Amino acid sequence: MPPTAVTNSIRQLRFQHGEMTQQELGERVGVTRQTINAIEAGKYSPSLEVAFRMAEIFGVRVDEVFHYGNAPQPGKDGVP
Amino acid sequence: MSFREKTAWVTLLAIIAVTLLYWAHVPKFIEPQHGVWVLHAMLASLVAYVVIELVAWIVLRQRHPRDARTPADERERLIDLKAIRIAYYVFATGALGGVFVALHLTRGGPTGVGMAVFLAFVLSQMVKHATRIVFFRRGA
Repeated sequence: MPPTAVTNSIRQLRFQHGEMTQQELGERVGVTRQTINAIEAGKYSPSLEVAFRMAEIFGVRVDEVFHYGNAPQPGKDGVP
Repeated sequence: MSFREKTAWVTLLAIIAVTLLYWAHVPKFIEPQHGVWVLHAMLASLVAYVVIELVAWIVLRQRHPRDARTPADERERLIDLKAIRIAYYVFATGALGGVFVALHLTRGGPTGVGMAVFLAFVLSQMVKHATRIVFFRRGA
C-alpha cells in the first residue's frame, strides 16, 4: 500500500509535549501504539474523529497536526 | 508485535496444524461410501481447532491482560475488513472451482463436494489471517 498524501507533525508535537510516548498518545486518543506509529509514519490516514482528538490533546488546530500534499503548513512558509 | 497480530499468528498456526492433521488422515476416505467418516473428520477438526484456539487465547489473555481488554481500534477494524474481503473472494472462487472439480473431474460425489467446500473455507480462513498479519506488519 503506498504512503498517503497526508503528512503530519505528530512526532514534533509529541516532543513539544513533554516527550509524550506513542503509547501515552495512543491511550489518550483511544487507539493502539501501533496505530499511532502507522499514522506518524504516513502509512495510515486516521478518521476525522481521531485527527480532531489528537489536535485537542496537543492544544492546536487540526491543520497544525496534519498537512495535505504541498499545502502550506501553518507556522511555516509565512503562513500564520 | 501487537496483541491482535499475535492472535492472528495463533489462529493461522492452529488452522495449519489442524488442516495438516485432517489431510494426513482423510484422503483414504475419499470414496463416496466413506462420506460419514469424512463428516466426522471435519467435525473432529473443528473441535480440535476450537480447543487450540481457546487454550491459546487464554494464555495470550493471561500474558497481556490489558491489551486483551482493549477493543480493536479503527485501523485494526479496517485491516479485519480488508482481510475478510480478500478471504471472501478466495472462498467463493475455491468453493465453485472445487465443486466443479469434484463433480466433473474426480467424480467425488457428495463427499467430494463437501470436502471441496470445506477446503475452500479453510483456505479462505488461512488467507484471511495471513492477510491480517501482512497488513499489521505493513502498518495499514
